[in-house]
Amino acid sequence: MKASPYLYIAPFFVLFALIGLFPLVYTFVVSLNDWDILSGAGEWIGFDNYVAELNDPYFWNSLFNTMSIFLLSAIPQLVAAVFIAALLDQNLRAKTFWRMSILIPYIVTPVAVAIIFSSAFGEKYGLINNILTSFNIDPVLWKSEVFPSHFAIATMVNWRWTGYNALILLAAMQAVPRDIYESASLDGAGPVRRFFSMTLPSIRPTMIFVIITATIGGLQIFTEPKLFNPTSANLGGAHREYQTTVLYLWDMAFNRGDFGKASAIAWLLFLIIVGIGLLNFMISRKIASTEVKVISKRRAKKLARYRAIAAASPAATNPTGAPAVSVVDEEKSS
Amino acid sequence: MKSQRRTKMVAAVAGAASLALLATGCSATDGGDSDGPITLTVTTFGTMGLDGLYAAYEADNPNITIKATNIDTGGNALTDWKTKQAAGAGLADVQAVEEGWLGQVMQVSDTFVDLSEYGADDIKDRWVDWKLAQGTDADGRIIGYGTDIGPEGLCYNGALLEEAGMPSDRDAVAELFGGDDATWDEFFQVGKDYNAATGKAFYDHSGFVWNAMVNQLDEGYYTAEGEINVEGNSALQSQWDKLADGAAAGLSSQQSAWDWGGGKAFTDGSFATFMCPGWMLGVVKGQVEAAGGDASTGWDFADVFPGGAANWGGAFLTVPTQSEHPEEAAKLAAYLTSAESEVAAFQAAGTFPSVIAAQTDDGVTGGSELSTFFNDAPIGTILGSRAEGVTSQFKGPNDSVIQEQVFGPATKELDSGVDGDTAWNNAIEVLKNLDLN
Repeated sequence: MKASPYLYIAPFFVLFALIGLFPLVYTFVVSLNDWDILSGAGEWIGFDNYVAELNDPYFWNSLFNTMSIFLLSAIPQLVAAVFIAALLDQNLRAKTFWRMSILIPYIVTPVAVAIIFSSAFGEKYGLINNILTSFNIDPVLWKSEVFPSHFAIATMVNWRWTGYNALILLAAMQAVPRDIYESASLDGAGPVRRFFSMTLPSIRPTMIFVIITATIGGLQIFTEPKLFNPTSANLGGAHREYQTTVLYLWDMAFNRGDFGKASAIAWLLFLIIVGIGLLNFMISRKIASTEVKVISKRRAKKLARYRAIAAASPAATNPTGAPAVSVVDEEKSS
Repeated sequence: MKSQRRTKMVAAVAGAASLALLATGCSATDGGDSDGPITLTVTTFGTMGLDGLYAAYEADNPNITIKATNIDTGGNALTDWKTKQAAGAGLADVQAVEEGWLGQVMQVSDTFVDLSEYGADDIKDRWVDWKLAQGTDADGRIIGYGTDIGPEGLCYNGALLEEAGMPSDRDAVAELFGGDDATWDEFFQVGKDYNAATGKAFYDHSGFVWNAMVNQLDEGYYTAEGEINVEGNSALQSQWDKLADGAAAGLSSQQSAWDWGGGKAFTDGSFATFMCPGWMLGVVKGQVEAAGGDASTGWDFADVFPGGAANWGGAFLTVPTQSEHPEEAAKLAAYLTSAESEVAAFQAAGTFPSVIAAQTDDGVTGGSELSTFFNDAPIGTILGSRAEGVTSQFKGPNDSVIQEQVFGPATKELDSGVDGDTAWNNAIEVLKNLDLN
């Protein structure tokens, strides 16, 4: 029965159509209307909402905040995750203990993380400012200045996600064959050299996966800034210092009640994420194709050598013999 | 900030709660005949003091079962209401709405049951007239029964005033601020004297003072006709200048509202006065206790308010047309807003009744745990006196947005040392960017 495989995968696609595709299309329809949350659909106004948003300084402000928090969290987070993974990849005692420990922040709910950190980052009574003042350092306005607030929110993200990413990268590192390391160290490569020349290139596909998921997550950041100053009437700081795009969207929909513009923001954000995703994809494909090029060049050389040998001594030729195997070997290890 | 007025420290769970509410945005009403068993849903928010009344009502009406939901803060309740209103389903049979959202509620007043059809006309004399007027829409339909009102008095810390060589006795303090003719000028002058004597701030932050100033005017951010009237509004601007002058003199303690460092700001002498509508008294007590303080911390409540009578907040019970049992729901709403019920709510939560008979009831004017905390101040009597002369102000659909997003940042700017004109111009700039109507 040829239908059965399609039936097996149907639940996903039916669910996706219902809770993924339909809202996507409906949001687009809403974004073309002057649509108030309470009074409902108004006039059809085409792309006016998009034009209005692209001219709205608060929209650009939210994009800037999102990108800034994203960069402040993604870069240190990935560097730290790679470093931690490399440490855990060593021969440690009580391996599982260490590995599980770095995952603990991940199982704490983001809401709890946000509450704890927002208290620690309090401006007047917060733990961190208390410590700073006790060292005679001026307290930092964590919740009302742009860079400190971004730093504080990025800290929450890093705290939660570094361990998770480190575990994924660790899994990739574990998959690298150990004997290569052995032969490399026999050839005199030190641990640093082995890390940069062997470990990093081998985990590249996983790195790309981690970067893409971090990008999507980073561009959709909501909980941390929403709860960073939960008592503030304004979302994302009095002057929108850390109002990310999703927060801005929420504010537009539920505080200002303009569903049309909120939907337009949602679609703009969607397009931006798709755009960045494509960029990531292209970069990763380019990396992959460079690898293929290197491989095919080597293979061509090998083949040429093999043919030369074969031509020189036709009697010894064995099409499935050792030379062919060595070509395959060469490909595997390159 | 009005819509956030009942915020507690637990407000931090706000986002999670509102998301959960979005996800579970349905509270189906059981079908059934009016004689058969009926389940009524009630949605309230913050501390409205109604929880104890449901069981009594169920006992008197055996066929009624009440399913009550309480949302932590007014702000989250607003989001909840808006979402379900937009979805056209999921609202409770008896839905509490806040004064601060009235402008939005009135936009869709036809989705609320006209309670006159269920006997509102027989009981409408129970409320102070301006409260009844607030709950009546433009077509004269009564859509909300008033629960509490928020007449404002002045909370002050007697111990701190004494340190500055000022009186701490309730009547003397009222006199210090000008008694019945108290003005904002006098308030800021006393503040400057206090600051000169102690070097400390006088009030917690500019935002609440600004709220009080605006709520007190005949017209706030909107004209009575419903037009936004902020730019070039001389009444607003002259109040703004006074506020800016006070902030420049160091009278604001620059606190974050609803945070107050977990209540510490109320116990460490950061500020000596606080704007106190009735429901705020419970908040003050809660904050002081959260920071480990008690009645000896020195907070007291005076029968005086700068600029005269002012109201901040208060709620209504409505019956959405979505309800399948409007008659029973209206009956329950009437019960929950009766004089006896409002006295009980006051005793439970300090919410000052909007029902005239309840305002002078012994249960309101007598002592309570709350009055003990406030140095045995006769809280109910003072609030009754503060409620005199309060009039209702028209609240436009974007009133709370203007308050939070336009003047929230601007008052924060005043606190951080920006001069009044610049902060005002920035506010106007934001207002234009927001493009409200």
